[in-house]
Amino acid sequence: MTTKRRPEDEIGCENDVVRAVTQFLSDSGYRVRVEVPNMGQSADLVATRGRWVTFIEAKMKDWRRALDQCRAHEHVADYICLALRCDSPSDTLLQAVRDSGYGLIGVSPGAGDVRWHHPPVLNRRVWPPQRRTLSGNLREIRHVVD
Amino acid sequence: MSSIEHWMQFGTFAQKDFFEYPAVGTYDGVLINANMVAYAPGGIAAFLQEKRAGGKYIIDPLTHAFQHDPALISDGEGKVKSSLRQLADHYGGSIAEIAGKRPLRPKDLNDAALDALVKSCLAYQREHLREHMTESNAAKYLGDGATQPPYALVAPYFYITESTLTEWLAVCAEAIRHARSAAQDGEKVFGSVVVSQGIVTDPDDRARVIEAFTGSEADGFLLSVDNLDEISAGKMELKGLVALAAGLRSGGQREVINVHGGYFSILAAGSAGGNAMSGVAHGPEFGEFRSVVPVGGGIPIARYYVPGLHARIRYRDALRMFNQKGWLSSADEFHSSVCGCPECRRVLDGDPGRFTLFGEGNAKSVRRRHGIVRIEFPTRDATLACLKHYLERKKKEYEAASSAPREKLLKELGEGADKFEDVAGLDGVAHLRLWARVFESQ
Repeated sequence: MTTKRRPEDEIGCENDVVRAVTQFLSDSGYRVRVEVPNMGQSADLVATRGRWVTFIEAKMKDWRRALDQCRAHEHVADYICLALRCDSPSDTLLQAVRDSGYGLIGVSPGAGDVRWHHPPVLNRRVWPPQRRTLSGNLREIRHVVD
Repeated sequence: MSSIEHWMQFGTFAQKDFFEYPAVGTYDGVLINANMVAYAPGGIAAFLQEKRAGGKYIIDPLTHAFQHDPALISDGEGKVKSSLRQLADHYGGSIAEIAGKRPLRPKDLNDAALDALVKSCLAYQREHLREHMTESNAAKYLGDGATQPPYALVAPYFYITESTLTEWLAVCAEAIRHARSAAQDGEKVFGSVVVSQGIVTDPDDRARVIEAFTGSEADGFLLSVDNLDEISAGKMELKGLVALAAGLRSGGQREVINVHGGYFSILAAGSAGGNAMSGVAHGPEFGEFRSVVPVGGGIPIARYYVPGLHARIRYRDALRMFNQKGWLSSADEFHSSVCGCPECRRVLDGDPGRFTLFGEGNAKSVRRRHGIVRIEFPTRDATLACLKHYLERKKKEYEAASSAPREKLLKELGEGADKFEDVAGLDGVAHLRLWARVFESQ
């Protein structure tokens, strides 16, 4: 599924990536929160649907840093994704997300079209006590689009 | 085997109870910055009387603060911070004149000026707290023991780099000679050796420092190397640190206290390092390395001291490692594989899931350049748990390094590296193997 945005919605900064992905996920039935604290760092987006929790780190281009940030979410997230400003991801990036089991969401630089380049696989490394802590924290944070 | 003196830096009054943690008598001495004495002399006097009665303490005169750019010692309005202003006024002379206007230079301290500075600096350490101790509430209960003098008086000192070695070294050595003359009967005089890493790694510069300081009749030294993080330091820095300390120690004739040291320094002070130091200090909340010129502290983050790594690491990284290793499968597994200290047993209370309490945080909205963001700060309980665990482990480290055979201590470093390498990576354990190699090569 892709979400079409208006041409004037050019993706010029990380916040634009976050906004585009928030809309995309909301349209797909997710409830989205932004800037969610998790063990001393902040996840750009956390999307929930049913009992599943998906963490997303958004970046303009530094995907290696995003991968590093994602590691901390493995204790709490059912699915973990990178959201990047890109039309066609490199083979290196695709291989990296496949190896880690993460998903990849692309936001096209000009029109801001959003699409899945690679779906995430279910993360089996969730540590229930830390997940319970996260669930408590999530209740304190409002959804962006209700 | 000789015991290694365990010193702790005084940070804030909120931490004063930790000078009796994990037990009364854990710490052989307390290092207190003179600006803290200037700012709250009554509070420091009461702290020493109530928490450290009869114990050793040393006041760091912090004279180097006045050699740097005045902006570094000024508040947002360009005025010298009040505690340092008070200190400068106590010292008088050149320092009082130039504080906040320009950096102090060696040429400002001719023989008469240096002698005057030494006398006022020593008098400050000798008398300022005594006056407040005499007037304190505790004085009537302590009787003759109410006024305890510093363990040693520290001569004025300045930060020495490779490029300022010639000028400042002469001033520092001369200041100790003046201090020796000005000291009263029974008073110990210490020099403070505060140097850059460049001095430590250059054999010629190091030799000059050792020669000048040991030739100055000091009874001992406080040693501090700018921003020397033992975890990330290279072989040259570590070997240089041990060589500098050993040189100052003069075959055990003089005390040498590393003001900011971690487990490497503790080992260096014990049999593993040939007793290169007599003591090592750290802060209640870490302080195992420090820049001479302070830099911003950043956002606080929960860190757990991993005993096998002798390193304080981010909670989330500790959690990842312990989980991957299966050490959070039960409380017993955690206590046998990671830490069985009383604080870890109290926090876990039989449930490994309670390890989350070491990483507990509260989210707060903070204004940043790009707008308001939500940042998680460790809760007070999480900070206290991490701190108490850290202090428990530090006590054990000093005891082990004082009593265990050198071979055992060095073998344990290698074992720690082997145990953690698969989850911490080679870079995460490399310091342990490097430390062992440095000591083995001695």
